Amino acid sequence: MDSLITAAARALAAGDPFGALNLVALREDAPALALRGIAMAQLGDLARAKLLLRKAARGFGPREAVARARCVVAEAEVALAARDLNGPAKTLEAARALLEAQGDRANAAHARYLEVRRLLLIGRLDEAERKLEGLDPAPFPPALRAAHELVVAGIAMRRLQARATRAALAKAERAARQAGIPALTAEVESAQRLLQAPAARRIARGGERPLRLAEVETLLASKALVVDACRRAVREGDKLVSLATRPVLFALAGALAEAWPGDVARETLLARAFGAKHADESHRARLRVEIGRLRAMLRPLAHLSATKQGFALAPRRAREVVLLAPPGEEAHAAVLAFLADGEAWSSSALALALGTSQRSVQRALDALAAEGKVQALGRARARRWMTPPLPAFTTALLLPAPLPGG
Amino acid sequence: MKRSAAEIIREYGPFPGIEAVHGLTFDGRQVWFASGDRINALDPASGRLARSIEVKAYAGTAFDGTHLYQIAEKRIQKIDPKTGRVLHTIPAPGDSNSGLAWAEGSLWVGQYRDRKIVQVDPETGKVLRTIDSNRFVTGVTWVEGELWHGTWEGDESGLRHIDPKSGEVLEQLDLPPGTMVSGIEADGGDRFYCGGGKSGKVRAVRRPTRGGAKAGGTEAGSAGRK
Repeated sequence: MDSLITAAARALAAGDPFGALNLVALREDAPALALRGIAMAQLGDLARAKLLLRKAARGFGPREAVARARCVVAEAEVALAARDLNGPAKTLEAARALLEAQGDRANAAHARYLEVRRLLLIGRLDEAERKLEGLDPAPFPPALRAAHELVVAGIAMRRLQARATRAALAKAERAARQAGIPALTAEVESAQRLLQAPAARRIARGGERPLRLAEVETLLASKALVVDACRRAVREGDKLVSLATRPVLFALAGALAEAWPGDVARETLLARAFGAKHADESHRARLRVEIGRLRAMLRPLAHLSATKQGFALAPRRAREVVLLAPPGEEAHAAVLAFLADGEAWSSSALALALGTSQRSVQRALDALAAEGKVQALGRARARRWMTPPLPAFTTALLLPAPLPGG
Repeated sequence: MKRSAAEIIREYGPFPGIEAVHGLTFDGRQVWFASGDRINALDPASGRLARSIEVKAYAGTAFDGTHLYQIAEKRIQKIDPKTGRVLHTIPAPGDSNSGLAWAEGSLWVGQYRDRKIVQVDPETGKVLRTIDSNRFVTGVTWVEGELWHGTWEGDESGLRHIDPKSGEVLEQLDLPPGTMVSGIEADGGDRFYCGGGKSGKVRAVRRPTRGGAKAGGTEAGSAGRK
């Protein structure tokens, strides 16, 4: 095999991008360009990395489809690191299929993990989980096993399963150490720190306190009736009534949970649900309709009783009602929640992840920037947003060097 | 050009702890193959690894009858196989050096993407001659006056016998699709040894013998080894 390419690939695999660049810095042939691209990505210069990988892909000949597919996978990983979530999912899919067909199982699996991570980042958990199901990480090299466990942990975390998250992260940590890639270990560590950070607030009987993920899991498994403002649902054990697409009903449920066991005045409910300052008769009529709808939806879990002033929530079995709220009382908590991962996001990626319009994300970002809570990098279409202080791009660039045929 | 399917006589490995076979050579008794951090001696009769020499070994390997030559990064190391010591180092001729052979007092260096075979002076590294091929060149070997090189381009790989003057392909043995070939070396008899790249294997492939030609070469590539 090509001596310098072999040497550079070994340096990259050992986490030494400078060593690799030293060996192939002046070479313009496709394998050298690919290695330079991966090295630049490991050094955090994602724009240059993308350029080099694209050039490399073009440079491989017609008999080198596998090498070209590996470049496509590497470029997809760079795009993911730059939080360019609108990247060409189809190209990645095609590259993965080719690698699978040609028996390059490790790189095919790597491509699959990129697909799963993208789904996870844009909040499509079910799809991410389905794609993950067919993958057994056991035969993969340590870096890929770490990636597998990180994705498992990511899904478990978003499903509020603290124990499963902790178990997956412990496995990820072992695999990352075995792989000896510092960026990977750092990624696992930052995920572990998230487990200790407040994940939500518990509001009940006029008091509130922050909850870590494990405490959220315990609360949801308890016998309390939980009005979950993080997910817009009302739940008691396994029973769940989703109000995700019913913002008015959820606002009413939140107000009632907060006041429990007391009641809430009609005026307060009107203000919370419709933002109505001076309620007129039509508002009152609408409130009656909405209360009726909420009553019907909550029937399996709770009564909604009319009081002299307004309404009160009365759980059927639960002894307690708790409102579970996002960790900060921020106006743009959802945007901040995504940026809390420490990565740089484009506003279009945030809009995609939040399922909202780019314009409203932009408004939220501008407001947060004015308060110094987020900062922008780059200009125009290349602009990215992140929370200060500026962290490094921690992404595990795992792709083994695209050796010809190897 | 004569073209036929290569007949694989035997496969060795993959061996524990060895990720890839880069270059290889034959010293008349053992096959020495490069695997990144070391050169390993394989007994082709038993298939066992006898010993190894710790040295950077990223591409071609050759034997001149006494010494081993090994490409690492941008240089060629001359190694005493008895002690494992690096005795001498010369610069390797190009950027994409892959294969290495010894014949007629020269080293022959295969250059993968440059599709060339370069003859160099083993003392100084001076380039004496360049032969062009039209395929990517991996291993190189001389046997009975014939120049053979391995080729491996994406999915296609094989062993090619070329005219050292014109570069014309005289004969080609196709390996099964997906079989990688890194180093190649003739044993002077009826077989080539081939490095299997990332498969971690060494393969013995039958060498077509000329009508009436007896096994055991008399020319460069095997003569110096006995």
